[in-house]
Amino acid sequence: MGVRDSHGEATGTPDPVEKGFATLNTIRIGVKAMVQKDGELRKAEILSIRQRKDGPSFYVHYVDFNKRLDEWIPAARIDLAQEVEWPQPEKAEKKKAAATNKAPSKNAQKRPRADSREVSGTPDALGGKNLNIDKTPRASQAGGKENLDAQTPGGDVSLFPSEAASAVATPKAADSEDVEMTDVKDLKEDEVKTASGEVISREEEIERLRTSGSMTQNPTEIHRVRNLTRLQMGKYDIEPWYFSPYPDSFSDVDLVYIDEFCLSYFDNQRAFERHRAKCTLVHPPGNEIYRDDNISFFEVDGRRQRTWCRNLCLLSKLFLDHKTLYYDVDPFLFYCMCTRDETGCHLVGYFSKEKDSAEGYNLACILTLPQYQRRGFGRLLISFSYELSKREGKLGSPEKPLSDLGLLGYRQYWRETLVELLIEPNREAMSENELALLTSMTEKDVHETLVVFNMLRYHKGNWVIVLTDYAVGEHNKRLEKEKIKGARRIDPARLQWKPPVFTASSRTWNW
Amino acid sequence: MTRYGGLGRTRPKKLTSKASIPIVREEDIDVLDEDIQSHQQIETGVEKAEESEFHLQVAINLTAQGKVNDAHIPTPETILSNLRYDELYPPLFSQPATYIRSSATVEDCCGCLYNMTEEDDVFLKIFNQKRDASNQCSEDNFEATMNFFEETAQAKQPFAAVDSPPVLTFAEMEEAMDAAVEEAVKRFAKEIYPHWKSRRTAEGSNNSLEPSLKFETGQDTDDSDPYVCFRRREVRQIRKTRGRDAQSAEKLRRLRKELEDARHVVALVRQREVARKEMLIMERTLFLQRAEVKEMKRKLNIKDDDEDLINQKPKKKVEPTTGQRPNPPQLRLPPRAGLQGAEDLQLLEDVQAEKENEILRDIKTNIAKHIKWNEGYVDHTRAPLSPSPERTFDAAAFRPAFTAQLPTPPSSDSSGDMMDTSLDVTSPIFSRDKLASRGMVLDEEPNKMPSFRRRVGRGGRLMIDRRNFAARCKIEMDPIKTDRFKFDQEDSDEEPVYEIETFNVQIMQHRAITMAKVREQAAVAAAQAHAQAQAQAAQVQAQRRLQSDQAGNQGGPPAPSAVAAPPEA
Repeated sequence: MGVRDSHGEATGTPDPVEKGFATLNTIRIGVKAMVQKDGELRKAEILSIRQRKDGPSFYVHYVDFNKRLDEWIPAARIDLAQEVEWPQPEKAEKKKAAATNKAPSKNAQKRPRADSREVSGTPDALGGKNLNIDKTPRASQAGGKENLDAQTPGGDVSLFPSEAASAVATPKAADSEDVEMTDVKDLKEDEVKTASGEVISREEEIERLRTSGSMTQNPTEIHRVRNLTRLQMGKYDIEPWYFSPYPDSFSDVDLVYIDEFCLSYFDNQRAFERHRAKCTLVHPPGNEIYRDDNISFFEVDGRRQRTWCRNLCLLSKLFLDHKTLYYDVDPFLFYCMCTRDETGCHLVGYFSKEKDSAEGYNLACILTLPQYQRRGFGRLLISFSYELSKREGKLGSPEKPLSDLGLLGYRQYWRETLVELLIEPNREAMSENELALLTSMTEKDVHETLVVFNMLRYHKGNWVIVLTDYAVGEHNKRLEKEKIKGARRIDPARLQWKPPVFTASSRTWNW
Repeated sequence: MTRYGGLGRTRPKKLTSKASIPIVREEDIDVLDEDIQSHQQIETGVEKAEESEFHLQVAINLTAQGKVNDAHIPTPETILSNLRYDELYPPLFSQPATYIRSSATVEDCCGCLYNMTEEDDVFLKIFNQKRDASNQCSEDNFEATMNFFEETAQAKQPFAAVDSPPVLTFAEMEEAMDAAVEEAVKRFAKEIYPHWKSRRTAEGSNNSLEPSLKFETGQDTDDSDPYVCFRRREVRQIRKTRGRDAQSAEKLRRLRKELEDARHVVALVRQREVARKEMLIMERTLFLQRAEVKEMKRKLNIKDDDEDLINQKPKKKVEPTTGQRPNPPQLRLPPRAGLQGAEDLQLLEDVQAEKENEILRDIKTNIAKHIKWNEGYVDHTRAPLSPSPERTFDAAAFRPAFTAQLPTPPSSDSSGDMMDTSLDVTSPIFSRDKLASRGMVLDEEPNKMPSFRRRVGRGGRLMIDRRNFAARCKIEMDPIKTDRFKFDQEDSDEEPVYEIETFNVQIMQHRAITMAKVREQAAVAAAQAHAQAQAQAAQVQAQRRLQSDQAGNQGGPPAPSAVAAPPEA
């Protein structure tokens, strides 16, 4: 939890950080070192280490940068001329045990890694599928290990004869081979702070997720090392941003294939091509509820389209850090935005929405697929979610926490929407409540947006809404742009949708 | 400018959401000191630990400075793939004019769920080389077979991923082959099985060939395993009550009934279609035979009007016989056939309604019994043993008295009709409490238009009821007492003595109306009296004549016709 650590350091008790020089052999997980990145040195935390033929490589998280920038780097990029920060002592004890074992067992580790990674180079490889033979146990070991106390990692090892050779020679070799950050510490101190600052325990978090909610606020939920390398989807190759619980064998292949329409996943190109030959789906498996010249929206019920919605969630988890897949997709509806061409309706982005949100959220998760980002689709998605709220006659707000991109997207949408209303001629005064009713935004969001953009000011003993030069300028710029490119807006008249009604039993889980 | 940062600090007014806030342009207001603006901390809604992230902070700060477009958060790149996209995604989509509606699932659209890998390709190639051209195994068949193995294994060893049982033997596979399994699968299964088995065991454990997600296995390790996903949300245990049980039983029963009904409908449709087919066959044979007849006629040179070649009466007969003969049994038989089922499928509502009816019937018979006992008695108790049936007060029986002009007196026969329907005077229940209730009604609606009716009381008394008089005294009076007086008036000019203002307009009107009524009645009475007198006179005359006749005829009996002759009033 590098981010959290740094946060803890900033606000918590000023534990003296243990500093010192390290060598490649003594660097271990949890160490924070200076790393070369884009021509500058950044502090980075080592999250995982793996051995390759050309030496070890390290999975690093840059402190105070988003996790989507985490990456594998070769040893050469670590600046060992500077002191490194050692992990917190209570953690260090356990880690040291692992680290001391690591140095002598380096050769032993190297071998299994080479076996499985560089298949082509190993003569005993029988075929493509063999790739996974000793992968699966290894990966599940890594997974299982986390649940054990870090002091007894050997318990799992004996279950897997394929690893026995190296395990016997160095009882804890398995532990250090492609070590992933354990969550031991987090399991111990079970309480975490949420975005809103309240303290909730792990049990409470899970209960909260069970009854509703799609976003986890608990960093223990968030696996730290990305598991997929690259993604092939439609016409694009995509780099995943975060961990997603695809089958664990997928972490060993270089390219995972995603069918653009049914979102099924394949680790084998031949299987993917065979699947494409059979698959007849050409649009999201639900009802089209909106159509204009550019896009369509489909409404997909998580309960009726379990497989598709699970596939969608797995995919979107690759790009949403706080999304949780802990519970199933039943209580959500998925509103999928597509562009159309002669091959079908291509998923561009989606948002999910609870069938019945106890907290009045009108949106749970929202994602524009990376290959379509920065083209204004996110704004359309947000706009559509408010259009649905208007149809429902409710005020709504997105579920928290927001991601960084989500926050920026929402703030922009809120500002533009409010300015659009305020700038209308003959408007002399408006209350926040009126603004909320016209936009379906909550009063809180209206108020905060006005404050954030410095539009709500106290002037001569009265509150005034100030149409700042900046806001007006942006608004005009947007109008200009729309004139040239054509307006990209949701037209409420084209929305064929009635708020769906669900009984209590259809919202809960059952077959 | 109001300062609240300095000495003359005033706290800003509280801003409520309903408060209307004036909208101004920036140029219209003075430049404000930064520090007097509200320094409210606004929640970003981003995870606390991530709020401090470099790019986000930069973006937020730029936004605050009004440079939104410079705010940029770097994300990993996406690049165009070198996949042969056009081959894999054929351009076959044509957009329908209406919005798409679809409920097919991924499984419905994917065909066979097993997908071949290169390894399978190699096997299949060798496999097909050994076979002649007519007996080749296609890729589809191969996949179907592999899928069958996978599915069977999954069905028989659902926990294979956990406990690694031995791979299913081929004998076990054969057991699972039922009619639903394709012929091709059966044909190739035996030879493909070793390949499947080797692949299945290749990974050391008995794992499914298709990589699958990790679902919960019920082990303790599930909870923190990041790969375990999509756990089921347990249904909250609903409290079990008898009512709920009955409800679900009822639901099931109804469901079964509905299904059975649907089945009947389908059976009937089938029967109809069979009959229709029969009819068509019949018509066809008829046509063919006619064709033969025609041929024959030509051959034999018979010339007639060809009546037998067209459908005239026969058509009308054919239709009822073929179309209707099966029909009546259709309409009657199924319910009879379903009767057994329907009987034990009685609906709860029916049973309840039945019971209610029984109770009502009981009450009714009891009331009738009491009435019988009380026949000839008037029940003067305040709450009689048998509650008199609730009689609605028939307002229609009253005629409104228009205050604008004097009402024309109601024609007597129509009012007579009304009184018959409104009041059954001979009924024993016609008693005090009925009238009392009317008195109450009068008090309750004092401001309505005054109205009257005439009725015939016991012994043929004529009575005028009136209603809706704004007599103020009524308020002080005991309703029962008032009621007693109500009908105490004689058919005379004497007004009942009420303490009233003599010159009140309403009362004057009332008086005028009642007087008119009385006058009219007096006139009627006079006419009757006159008629009677005439009749009597006639009778007397007749008798006299008779007497004189008898005197003349030695006292013969009076002719009956003469007795009947005098007109009765």
